[in-house]
Amino acid sequence: MSTSSAGWRLERRLDVSAARSVGTRTAGVVVAVLGALAVFQLTGRSAPDIAGESIKGTFGNWSNFQETLIILTPILICAVAVALGFRIRVWNIGVEGQFLMGGWAATGVGLKVGGPQWLQLLLMALAGMAAGALWVLVPALLKAYFDVNEVITTLLLTFVAQQMLVWFSTDIWKDRVAAVTNASERVNAKLPGFFGSTTLNWGFLVPVVLVIVMFVVFRSSRWGYEVEMTGGNPRAAEFAGIPVKRRIVGVMMLSGAVAGLGGMIQLTGAVHRLSVSFSNQYGFFGFIVAALAGASALALLLVGLFIAFLLRSGIAAQTRGLSVALMFAVCGMILLIVGVAEIATRYRLSRAAPEPMAPVPQEAKMSNTHFASAQEPA
Amino acid sequence: MNIVFSATRTAIDSGAVIVLAGSAELLMERTGMLNLGLEGFVAIGAVSAVIAASSTSSVWLCLLAAMAGGALMGSIYAMATVVCRANQVLCGLALVLFGTGMANHLGAGFSGKPMSARFVAWEVPGLSKLGGFGKALFVHDPLVFAAYTVIPLLVSFLLYRTRHGLNLRAVGENPAAADAMGVNVMGMRFLYALIGGAIAGAGGAALSMSFTPGWAPGLVAGSGWIALAVVIFAAWRPGWLVLGALLFGLMRALSFIGQEQGWSLPAPVLNFLPYVVTLLLIAAPAVFKRFRRATTPPAALATPYFREQR
Repeated sequence: MSTSSAGWRLERRLDVSAARSVGTRTAGVVVAVLGALAVFQLTGRSAPDIAGESIKGTFGNWSNFQETLIILTPILICAVAVALGFRIRVWNIGVEGQFLMGGWAATGVGLKVGGPQWLQLLLMALAGMAAGALWVLVPALLKAYFDVNEVITTLLLTFVAQQMLVWFSTDIWKDRVAAVTNASERVNAKLPGFFGSTTLNWGFLVPVVLVIVMFVVFRSSRWGYEVEMTGGNPRAAEFAGIPVKRRIVGVMMLSGAVAGLGGMIQLTGAVHRLSVSFSNQYGFFGFIVAALAGASALALLLVGLFIAFLLRSGIAAQTRGLSVALMFAVCGMILLIVGVAEIATRYRLSRAAPEPMAPVPQEAKMSNTHFASAQEPA
Repeated sequence: MNIVFSATRTAIDSGAVIVLAGSAELLMERTGMLNLGLEGFVAIGAVSAVIAASSTSSVWLCLLAAMAGGALMGSIYAMATVVCRANQVLCGLALVLFGTGMANHLGAGFSGKPMSARFVAWEVPGLSKLGGFGKALFVHDPLVFAAYTVIPLLVSFLLYRTRHGLNLRAVGENPAAADAMGVNVMGMRFLYALIGGAIAGAGGAALSMSFTPGWAPGLVAGSGWIALAVVIFAAWRPGWLVLGALLFGLMRALSFIGQEQGWSLPAPVLNFLPYVVTLLLIAAPAVFKRFRRATTPPAALATPYFREQR
């Protein structure tokens, strides 16, 4: 009865090597990208041309590469925010909303509070982080204390944040002088340029620092250990005396604060005005990066660069029929294929013995393992 | 009084997509599949109808295209989560990205163009003549009528009055027991991924062929997510689903009427009200015991079924 008709069965691997995990993820990405290129070729466009254009538009020269880094910055910051949540098994999919609110709060401070540039920037960063953290507070409390699904609540608030941006950039803070449509007045405080560059600024180092800090915290701090333990097994963590609920709220607010800081960096480093098109769905691309990278810090940086490459291609190769929306779809496909490949790493397909084992030993074996696992916690 | 009638009318029209997408989700969740990809399903359904309308003017063919698009998404979802047993949350979110991205890409060429195939309002004979009240309740297009009557009744009948529905619920509650009783767990889930996908696709058609005909970039605007939330609010029961959808529809209607009547609230505030109210809808039963209803989520929700690990 336990063997399926074809005689094949899934068997769980006891441990998955890191190399195998990286291998399947990479394979998933390659399959999805080749699949997308194949579709282009079949619909009468030249796939090599599109690939060439994409690579030229992203890495081709210093100025294009700077544009890629500009896109990479918000994506990576949002990825760190999502990855933080993953440590405690929370899916903060609403980073987009927290990112927008961070930008919103920073704009408010930038427009209304005067002072020296460094002080302004500092206040804007603080305001952005506070706004991001507060935007996720309600979902965090609902998740921790009432077990309400955080995916849905954080996403619903993202739609609210988008409307907030529409409201403030086209009405309350609208620039009525300059010839810009649907944007706020210009925020003058801006991040210093990277060795005099007019496009790139020091902001692109922020996510790198964040990734390193996160890595160190989870490597060697008590708080990080408690968070990871809660993520691994909340019941065991509860028994060990860890305040599980407070940790969940804390991690989610920290995640929101990081996303909010991303909004501030985006404002002061790249766009300088609040507008309806403030974010290019960076929060969602950040989620993709975090989901693909797993727990590794280095993977986060590399996958971030790859996703930034995809998004930048969508912008740079528009004349060839690419679009940001299409890249969004390609990312979804990558995620799906990697999700399936993940199972391939954890299970293996094995041919069941042609003649099933005698029922008695098999049953005995099963109940034995059950017994053992039931006994363990006591 | 006129405002009340037109609010009711708009509420019913704008809630149709929520009932359809919600019914799809309800069926899928009852078989143990948490489909977070609903937003993508609705988007693909909506854009499929718009694309079909460029080569046919038959509303039914366009509706069929929308349902086929949704079913295609359902089959992708089922291949990944049922056959390969991949993580349902991850695959669902992947399909949101894939569906909305694909729909926006494919729909870009049709954006702002008039829709050739759209459902026209249909009057219930006799009842529609009952003044403003009759107009508000009994003059809608066939898809809206179907969304509020045929679909919930069918779902309710199927779940609670048929053996097949009992098996369906068993798969969602305890797949191992259902398997032992001879129910084909994987087959059941695959089937309802397809059926659910098709109904969610029809929900997309309710947007692009009925409520706001044509394609626009922000057309779906979270309808799928709201439907997901309404399913939780409804505690997985079809009757409450209709109520939740109407409540959402009413909020949507308020924002239209507010803009029409020139209320002092700014338009974006009126636009985000439905999302805030939806958030309250799922928070209230969890926070206040008084609002809590007896039903809990299907026990096997979001867990893949491995016969070998029973």
